[in-house]
Amino acid sequence: MKTVIRTWIVNGKKYTVEFPPMRRLLDVIRETLGLKGTKEGCGEGECGACSILLNHEPVTSCLIAAGQVPDGAEILTIEGLELTHEGQELQRMYVAKGAAQCGFCIPGMLVASYAHVTGDHPDNSDAALREAHAGNICRCTGYAKIIEAVSAAAERLSHEDEDDDT
Amino acid sequence: MSNLDDTEFLEPATLAEALRFMADESTRAVPLAGGTDLMVQWEAGVRPPPSRVLNLKSLPELAELRAEGDTLIIGAGITHAALRRSPLVRKHAPALADAAATVGGAQIQALGTIGGSIGNASPAGDMAPSLLVANARAEVASIHGSRTIPLTQFLVGYRKLDLAADELIIRFHLDALPAEYCEGWRKLGPRAAQAISKVMGSYRGKQEGGKVASFAVALGSVAPTAIRLREVEQWVVGRKLNADTLREAEERASAEVKPIADIRSTAEYRQWVSGRLVRGFLEHLASAG
Ligand code: FES
Ligand code: FES
Repeated sequence: MKTVIRTWIVNGKKYTVEFPPMRRLLDVIRETLGLKGTKEGCGEGECGACSILLNHEPVTSCLIAAGQVPDGAEILTIEGLELTHEGQELQRMYVAKGAAQCGFCIPGMLVASYAHVTGDHPDNSDAALREAHAGNICRCTGYAKIIEAVSAAAERLSHEDEDDDT
Repeated sequence: MSNLDDTEFLEPATLAEALRFMADESTRAVPLAGGTDLMVQWEAGVRPPPSRVLNLKSLPELAELRAEGDTLIIGAGITHAALRRSPLVRKHAPALADAAATVGGAQIQALGTIGGSIGNASPAGDMAPSLLVANARAEVASIHGSRTIPLTQFLVGYRKLDLAADELIIRFHLDALPAEYCEGWRKLGPRAAQAISKVMGSYRGKQEGGKVASFAVALGSVAPTAIRLREVEQWVVGRKLNADTLREAEERASAEVKPIADIRSTAEYRQWVSGRLVRGFLEHLASAG
């Protein structure tokens, strides 16, 4: 069993990890890095529970051979997301709106939400918010409260931007 | 432990190096781009673990996206996310940008590539119809050089491409959308996102004074490969965009496709929907002028 060594920036910190290159990024995050916040739902790219940000783009980590992630790549998981301002605002709104029930989908859901609110010129219409979360399945909430929470967080964050400009 | 732990992982830094791996049977490997199809099949044991994998993600040659005169050039490694947000693609091949936006959710769009989608050779691939209406050519390469083939010939049959064992898909060449032409994309599936299509298609056309001046239409999931509907295209050009033309074009489109029934849909439904899609495209064209 051959391994490769990679140095990544995970949640803002430098980590050097060694693993067999075809291991799923999901497994390297959970087992090698010990970051258990990222969940495995389907293992087939359908549910989005394993979502993380790779170089600022949301991806399903169950579909990535970790060896494909080069040195210097930036990875943001739920553990890092909750330290960011946007991540905290989203969490607050998820709680305020009752958007989490069993919670299993929530780390991946928050990654999708975070990618949306931190994207260039996010469109915060209901349709755009739903599309931004179309890769995430939730078996509990029925989505309405999740969309409400993201909408509320996006609203608050956009007002901050205005304040910054003045 | 994973069943892929013993798979050898080849990491070429350049295309030339990748082609050298492919040239020799002792180092030939399964090319891996976004992984959205292959990783699932290997992990689930649907396909046996390969002995070697060739990482395409690191090849700068596959990452280009540019317009050159009337041609739009798209590297095989360009992701769906990059396609949908590229102003160049939006301008020169809008139906391709729209198609890219309907592949899976955001997470799949950020991984999957146009080369992987075409390389997968599924009739249900979402990229082919928009490429076909733009008269796309596929450029493939081996250590002996490269060749460029019309996509209609490159897509040979069900899961079959005109691609030799030592060749890699490098890029696609598209005719940029000419002035006064418009395009459209429609996809029908069980739900809007994250689902494999039942039937999907694209068109590119032009109308002049209420008549069809030019019309190209391609559908997926209605034959072993995505196809252009040449008979309908020829029949409709020069005709007035009126109710009679729409009705007859719909009938002709349903008759021209030869779909199969499978787990996702019946043949009759696909024929009916094909006609409706073509009608919808002509209506779109009529309203565009
Ligand atoms: S576990 Fe990755 S998408 Fe479901
Ligand atoms: S809260 Fe239970 S799956 Fe979403």
